[in-house]
Amino acid sequence: MTERLSDVDAGDEFEIGTVTDDQVRARLLRLGFLDGSVRCRRRLHKGPVVVRRNGTELAIGAAVADDVRVRPLTE
Amino acid sequence: MTHALRDLLGDRSPDGEVDADVGDSTADVDSEGETGASDGSDDRVVAMVGCPNVGKSVLFNALAGGSAEVSNYPGTTLEAAVGRLDDATLIDTPGVYGVSSFDEEERVTRETVLEADAVLNVVSATSLDRDLFLTLQLLDMGVPTVVAVNMMDEAETGGTTVDVDALERQLGVPVVPTVATEERGVDSLRDRLDEVDAPDETPVATWFDRLPDGLEASRAERVLLVEGDEPTVDRVVGPRDVTADGGARGLTGDAFRDEIYTHRRSRVAGVVEAVTDEREGAGGLKETLDDLLLNPVTGTPFALVLLGLVYLVIGDLVAQRLVDFVETTVFEGYYVPLVRGLVAGALPDAGWAAPVRFLLINGNLGLLTITVQYLLGVLLPLVVAFYLVLGVLEDSGVLPRLAVLSDRGLSMLGLNGRAIIPMIVGVGCVTMAVVTTRTMGSRRERLIATALLGLAVPCSAQLGVVMGLLAGLGLGWWLAYVAILLLVFGVLGVVLDNVLPGESQGLLTELPPLRRPRVGDVVRKTARRTRAFLAEATPLFAGTAIVVSGLDYVGGLAVLESWLRPVTALLGLPAEFGRVLVIGVVRRDFAAAGLTDLGLSAPQTFVGLVVVTLFVPCILSMVMILKERNLASGALIWLGSVVVALSVGAVLAGVFGL
Repeated sequence: MTERLSDVDAGDEFEIGTVTDDQVRARLLRLGFLDGSVRCRRRLHKGPVVVRRNGTELAIGAAVADDVRVRPLTE
Repeated sequence: MTHALRDLLGDRSPDGEVDADVGDSTADVDSEGETGASDGSDDRVVAMVGCPNVGKSVLFNALAGGSAEVSNYPGTTLEAAVGRLDDATLIDTPGVYGVSSFDEEERVTRETVLEADAVLNVVSATSLDRDLFLTLQLLDMGVPTVVAVNMMDEAETGGTTVDVDALERQLGVPVVPTVATEERGVDSLRDRLDEVDAPDETPVATWFDRLPDGLEASRAERVLLVEGDEPTVDRVVGPRDVTADGGARGLTGDAFRDEIYTHRRSRVAGVVEAVTDEREGAGGLKETLDDLLLNPVTGTPFALVLLGLVYLVIGDLVAQRLVDFVETTVFEGYYVPLVRGLVAGALPDAGWAAPVRFLLINGNLGLLTITVQYLLGVLLPLVVAFYLVLGVLEDSGVLPRLAVLSDRGLSMLGLNGRAIIPMIVGVGCVTMAVVTTRTMGSRRERLIATALLGLAVPCSAQLGVVMGLLAGLGLGWWLAYVAILLLVFGVLGVVLDNVLPGESQGLLTELPPLRRPRVGDVVRKTARRTRAFLAEATPLFAGTAIVVSGLDYVGGLAVLESWLRPVTALLGLPAEFGRVLVIGVVRRDFAAAGLTDLGLSAPQTFVGLVVVTLFVPCILSMVMILKERNLASGALIWLGSVVVALSVGAVLAGVFGL
C-alpha cells in the first residue's frame, strides 16, 4: 500500500518510496530522506508538506509531493 | 565558468586592497596596496565548504575575518568572501548539501572545490547525518580535506555527543571540534590545516570501471562523471550534440547517481552510528515556536505583524522620517547649496560652460547635486535598513517558514514559496529585489518575478509617500489601493504562468532550526551587502543622470509632457499629471509626491496614486532589469507596465466618473 506524500497527515510516519523526478530524488537521497522512517510534521491545505528526519526539516511543495509515493509505517 | 575562481582571485593580490567594483572581473587592484611581500603564484587556496546553517561564515570570520574581502562570484550575486589565513588564501563558498549542479549555489561551490588546493569542510555536530554526505563525497573525490565539527555545544544541549577521535579514525582525515561563535577550536583548526588529507581509494572507485577507457579526467571529475554531473560531462566528454557516438554520455547517466548516493548514504549511517551517542534532547520553546510559524492559522497573522513591523522600520522610520531629515536638512540645507556655489564659482561664465553647469547641478537630476542626494540621502539609509532587517530574517530562519506559508499562493503565479524573498525585498527596494531574483530556479521564474516586481510592487520610498497621501483620504481608500495592487499582482502572475512556455520548479527547501540572530553577524553582512549594492548602483545611476539631464537640457522632457496630454485626459487628471508621469520614469516616490501639489479631489488622488504605483519601475530598477534579463524582457516589462497602469487608471476614472 502506497500513497502520495501530498496526502499524508501531520504525525504520520512513513518511508519514502518512488520519486519520479530525478533531481528531487537525488536531493532527498542526499539528505537521508530515503534511508528510512520519515515523519510528517505538518501539511498545509493544498500547500507544502513539512517532513522531518533526524532533526532535519524539509518543506516540499504540493506539486513536488504529488509525485512522491510513501509507504505508511503507522496506522 | 571554468575560470570563475581564477577571475575571483585574480582581482586581488594577497595583501592588496581590492577595488570596490564588485562583480566586475576587470576590477583594478589598487597598486598602492601591493607590497609584493608574498608571491601570489604558488599561494595555496583553501575552500571552506559545508551545508547551509552549519556556522560556516562565523568560522570564516574567526579564521580570517580581519583580512576578509567580499566580492561576488563572476556572473552571480553570490557573495564570495576571501581572506588570508597564514600563508593560504581562504575562500568561503555558498552552503550546499553535496557537490553537484542542481542550482546556482551548487555550481559555484563545485567550481571552487575543483579549483582549490584543499578544502576545509565544516559540519555541524547537530546534523552529522545530513552533513557527512558532503564530507564523504569530498573524500571520494580525493580532495585534500580537514573537517571542522562545529556547534559542539549546541549538540550537547540537544543530547548528542560526538566522539571526534572516532570520527577522525572513520574518515581518515583530521577532524577538529569547534564552537565558532565562541572561537573555540579555531586555533587548533588553524594548526591542523597543513595536515589536509584524503584516503587513497574509497568505495566509489568500483564505479570508475563503467567509464570509457582512456578518458582523461581527474579523480574528482571521475566521481562527478559517474554521478552524472552535467557540466562535468560537458567538459570532459564534450557538449551534448557534439558526441554523435553517445557512448560516453550514455555511461554517465543518472542511474549511477542513485546507486552511488545510496551507497554513500549507507556509509554515512555507519559513521554516524559509530561516532555519536544520542540521548533524548529537549524540543522546548523553539519547537513550539516552529509549530506556530508553520500553522497558517497562527503563522499568517505572525507574518502580517512581521511585515507590519518591517514596514514601520523601513517604510516609516527610515524612508519617511530619516530620509526626510537627511534630504531636507543635510542635503537641501547644506550640501546642495554648497556644491552649487562651488561649481558656479569654478566654471567660467562662457557659453560652453552652461550645459556642463546644467549637467552637474540642475534641480531635477544634477550629477553632483540630486544624484548624490538620491544615492546617499535616500538609497543608502533605505538599503542599510533593509539589509539589516533582511539579515535578521535570514539568520533567524524565519524566511523559509514564510516560504512555506506562501508557497500555495505563489505557485498559482508560476513561482514557488521561495519567491517570497524577492517580493519582500521588493517592498524595500525593487532594484535590490531584481538582483535577488538571480538565485531563483529557472529563467521562467526569474522573468515572472521580475515582471511582478516591476509592475505591482511599490518600493518603500514610494509606499511611504503613498501612505501619507492615502492617510489623508481615509482607511477605505487605503484598502481599495491594496486590493487593486493585489488584484493586478495576481492577474499578471496567472497570465504570465499560462502564457510563458515551460514549467516552474516546485518547492524543496530545508527549514533550518530557528535561532536568535547575532548582532555582529547581521551588521557585518549588512555592511558587505550595502557596499556591493552601492558599487553596482552608483555607476548605473550616474550614467542615467547624465542621459536624463541631457534630454532635459535640449527640451526633451517638455516635449514628452505635451505628448502625454491625451493620456492625462483619459485618466480624468489635469495636464500637470503628465509631468508627474515623466518624473515617475526617474524616481517613483517623486512621482507620488508630485501629486500633492496638483490640488486633486479624493478620487483623483486615488487614481493618480494607483497609476504612478503601477507605472514603470524607477530608472535604476529599469537599468537593473535590462542588465539582469535582456532587452526584449525589459522592453516588455516597461511597455506592459505603461499599458496596465493606464488601463487600470482609465477604468477607475470611468468608475468614479472623472
